[in-house]
Amino acid sequence: MRGFKVQVVILLTVFASCATYYEVNQEFNYEFEKGELNAANQTLAKKSKKLEKSKNRLLYYLNRGVVLSMLGEYEESNRYLEKAYLYTEDYQTNYVNEAVSMLSNPNFVAYKGENHENLMMLYYKAMNYLRMGQYDNALVECKRLNIRLDQLSDKYKSDKKYQKDAFIHTLMGIIYDAQHDYNNAFIAYRNALEIYKNDYADMFGVSVPDQLKEDILRTAYLTGFQQEYDLYKKEFGMENYKYQRTDGGDLVFFWHNGLGPVKTEWSINFAVVKGQGGVVNFTNDEYGFNFPFPVSYDKETGKSGLEDLEFFRVAFPKYKERPTVYSAANLSVNGNQYPLELAEDVNAIAFKSLKDRMLKEFGKALLRVALKKAAEEAARNEKDGLGAAVSLFNAITEKADTRNWQTLPHSIYYTRVPLKKGEQHITLEMKGNKGDQKEEFVYNVKSGETIFQTFSSLDYAVKLYP
Amino acid sequence: MKNSIKTLVVAIFSVAVLFGCSQRTVTRVSPDQQIDLSGRWNDVDSKMVANKMVQQFLNSPRYQQYSSDNGKTPAIIVGYIKNKTSEHIDSDNYIKKFEMEIFNSGLADLVESAEFREKLREERADQQEFSSPETAASWGKEYGADLMLFGTMTSETDTYNKKKVVNYITTLYLTDLETNKRVWYGQEEIKKYIEN
Repeated sequence: MRGFKVQVVILLTVFASCATYYEVNQEFNYEFEKGELNAANQTLAKKSKKLEKSKNRLLYYLNRGVVLSMLGEYEESNRYLEKAYLYTEDYQTNYVNEAVSMLSNPNFVAYKGENHENLMMLYYKAMNYLRMGQYDNALVECKRLNIRLDQLSDKYKSDKKYQKDAFIHTLMGIIYDAQHDYNNAFIAYRNALEIYKNDYADMFGVSVPDQLKEDILRTAYLTGFQQEYDLYKKEFGMENYKYQRTDGGDLVFFWHNGLGPVKTEWSINFAVVKGQGGVVNFTNDEYGFNFPFPVSYDKETGKSGLEDLEFFRVAFPKYKERPTVYSAANLSVNGNQYPLELAEDVNAIAFKSLKDRMLKEFGKALLRVALKKAAEEAARNEKDGLGAAVSLFNAITEKADTRNWQTLPHSIYYTRVPLKKGEQHITLEMKGNKGDQKEEFVYNVKSGETIFQTFSSLDYAVKLYP
Repeated sequence: MKNSIKTLVVAIFSVAVLFGCSQRTVTRVSPDQQIDLSGRWNDVDSKMVANKMVQQFLNSPRYQQYSSDNGKTPAIIVGYIKNKTSEHIDSDNYIKKFEMEIFNSGLADLVESAEFREKLREERADQQEFSSPETAASWGKEYGADLMLFGTMTSETDTYNKKKVVNYITTLYLTDLETNKRVWYGQEEIKKYIEN
């Protein structure tokens, strides 16, 4: 018995740590949020061996990719992002881990990324290539994005779920556009428009960016789609639009505002109500949940292992928003102002995706608790004390999956600015409730060239943890 | 009673062990084999449309009339096929399939596309300077095309619940470069019914 207890204690330390994923990585998070990117990179590098073998390796690759990209080490960044991509491509469900997670907690399963994270990963990668001037490689990412978008839209049958990403379509358009492939750019922009109109307005309160409308008209004109050109001019109420060729270049500026949400956990108590024919109902009046579970029972005694249970706690993941400090920004070039427009509300998408599958999460979590409780009951009948130990084990291991990609921005804004040839000075002005911030950029513009720039403001309004 | 629960736990583990890590399998298949997964435009469609349309125009009375009036095998250049569908279709690949069908038919000659002509001219210019005069390709001997093939692709989608019909329409024009007269005009549709 004593030996068993020791085993239990060891197991507990292995399985249990009630910290969320965010808390576990506090050192890195602290440095990253302060903008100490070199230190953050070092922190990851120090633990790389361990992290690369862990079940969270995808998040390691992604965080490393983001930090290196922000440091301007685009090639190195893409090495990690490529690893992340291949990992998600080759991801195979490990059923042993799935089973263990059923009896402990979902952190036992390797993290394979949320839908939007899988798309954003390729966004970062494409941007790195664009900044290195490797357009053909950026196009490869574009094609991968297209496949991922198709897979995503095939995944759900219902239209009311996040299954199409307007920003990613816009990005694809921008990449084709930079290569002067106006036909493909037009298709991508037009697909983006449909999604902004049909999905984003309702789901996330994001409307069609004016920039996108302009890009649609321009590419329609340049492809020679006169009919579409006239049609969209009317639809957008932009009858006065006229394409003007310039001898300069374009700047496409992406502003990453704030930081995306962090997963934490919440738990609710369920009461067990015995139903008929071996069905047990898990109910929670506060939320109005009722989940029936068929439970095998002993024919002789008519009892099941769940009889003696009355209450128990189940943990679920939830997102916690990191509200942004800045509410708007614009670019100023030679006295002209170009507002940056909201293109992707990563925060809202994260919330929506989790909500979309919450019922599935409930089912999974309850099945997990049911199994754990059943095991506990079996153990209780087996030996004195064993049941208690398993019970303790169960209680401690009950935990939600709080892993997510936490270096993603809260929201992404963008605009396209026409620039004259030669040296150009651009100012980014961010407006926030704590005052305005300015950043200067200088570019040497060549004719017909598209320059890509991303700027991340990492500040957010509320401290998550003391 | 406890046995039934034990059985459940044991069963879960046995299933887990049995499946283990599922293996990804890859099988080589013949490129001619028709495999439709998503219902979107794929390689089989490109091949099918290119083959059908090229046969269509080569066998059309108007083309044959043109060919005999021309006095020699007409030379064709495949221009562009504009994509107006909602999918990103690799038009380069599509165009190459047309070129191959035309080339292999023997009923028409093929002239290089604008992009390749530029490359060839660069090489020719290079030769003037660096190659021995006997082997250098000379200027002014490019073969002019008689006809140009170009067109558009559109798609119409109709959906209801879990059903979807997509109709892809490729329209091609074969036009006389000298007179702007249309020698042939054809349309090919591929209609797909997808049920989820």
